[in-house]
Amino acid sequence: MHLFFFRESWRSFLQHRGLATTAIFSLTAALTLCAMFVLLTHNADYALQLIGDRREMMVYLRDDVNDTRREELMGRMKELYGSVSYISKDDAWKELETQIGDPQLLEAVGENPLPAALRVRLKPELLNFPAMKQVAEQVLAFPEVEDVRYGADWVRRLDELTTGLRRGALLVGLIVAVAIVLVIYNTIRLSVLARRPQVEIMSRLGATHYFISAPFVIEAIVQAGVAAVLALGILYVIKQALVSQVWKVVFIPIPYAAMFVAATVALASLAAVLALSRVMRQVGR
Amino acid sequence: MITFEQVSKRYGERLGLDSVSWHMDEGECVVFVGHNGSGKTSLLRLITHEIQPTSGTVTVGTFRTGHVSRGQRALLRRTLGIVYEDFRLLADRSIFENVALAVRIAGRFADEEVIPRVMYALEEVGLQLKQSSFPAELSAGERQRAAIARAIVNRPAVILADEPTGALEARSAADVIALLKRIHGEGAALLAVTTKQHVADAIGGRCLHLDDGRLREQSAIPQAAEAGA
Repeated sequence: MHLFFFRESWRSFLQHRGLATTAIFSLTAALTLCAMFVLLTHNADYALQLIGDRREMMVYLRDDVNDTRREELMGRMKELYGSVSYISKDDAWKELETQIGDPQLLEAVGENPLPAALRVRLKPELLNFPAMKQVAEQVLAFPEVEDVRYGADWVRRLDELTTGLRRGALLVGLIVAVAIVLVIYNTIRLSVLARRPQVEIMSRLGATHYFISAPFVIEAIVQAGVAAVLALGILYVIKQALVSQVWKVVFIPIPYAAMFVAATVALASLAAVLALSRVMRQVGR
Repeated sequence: MITFEQVSKRYGERLGLDSVSWHMDEGECVVFVGHNGSGKTSLLRLITHEIQPTSGTVTVGTFRTGHVSRGQRALLRRTLGIVYEDFRLLADRSIFENVALAVRIAGRFADEEVIPRVMYALEEVGLQLKQSSFPAELSAGERQRAAIARAIVNRPAVILADEPTGALEARSAADVIALLKRIHGEGAALLAVTTKQHVADAIGGRCLHLDDGRLREQSAIPQAAEAGA
């Protein structure tokens, strides 16, 4: 019986090749646009994750903090905020020497004015602006701490960019979802109307709503599935041929691609069911 | 089996059927005769629940108008075998596929049962050699026989025939009438509607006359029993 539905669906596709092909191309265009945005967001997310991993907090210590208190502070901070490494006054000076590279300039400074510091690599859940701000305030309250630096403005902008991209992807995704529903809805509706005599005859012979609808739903699923795979293929070609020449781009991971196809198919099924429930009221009496 | 109780059907201002009451028993043969627009097709469409009566009640087996869901309506239609004047065969399918469609819609038979059932029905109407032909390749008489094969393939309790010889020349019409009588003789109830009295006489059974939506008279044709036997 299931094979029968697939045969019916294939028959419908052959009979209305023009309509089906138009639907596949329209969907492919919309889905390619959506997939491009997914790729962009994924790469931005990936880049931000790399940058975000490097987000760290410098905690400058007072000069009078002895080794015991410093060790206690490090233990406490490790427990609360993440991994902590100690940079002594000498280490800080050496880092500065390396960075400046001109010993004459440093001679002018005279005695080492740099404070000892703790470099804190924050836990992943703390890598966002509000959390980092809160951590900085808490750390500053320790009596051993002179000052805290974490590039507040930079972190805030980074977070805003990530949020903006995600919202953009969601918006484009929603627009494309509506486009998928509309294209499939109208395609199935036209397909049913084009096969009106057949649907009427089947209805007169006692076919159930499910029996009449199943081939159309299969048709919609196949159209959407083909369009989604085509869109991913086009995106891959674009990525290989153009974008990778300019800068390094990672392609959408396979689980994301599978979710993209699955979401498209799910939307197409929904659209087909909606279209059929409406058009069958007119045709399948 | 089929009962109409004071059934009226109104299409806007026009009255299609006017307080029609009649009853048909299991295995019986009833022929409605009436001119075009007399309400014959409305009567059949009420039986198949394509339309609802404006007033009155139509009962077909255990199905009663006003209490039938979409699923039940489909089930009701699967218990009927319907033959249309214009055959209503699907042009893009072979005769075999047209008949097989009814078997698949019935949903009572496994895939391996479809072919023998269809072939048996085609043999009954004498179209076993035309199974691969498409409707457009057949004569009108052959198409009507294919439609009859589709109607009987699931062994329905009732065959409804809407002007079964309307599109046929005399010889094909006689063949179709003989076929319907034979099927009725095998136990199925037969309800036919026609504009032609001689067709009704040829089919036999109980003859009811419809005139402008009203049931005028009833006449039992004695040959009915003989035809059915």
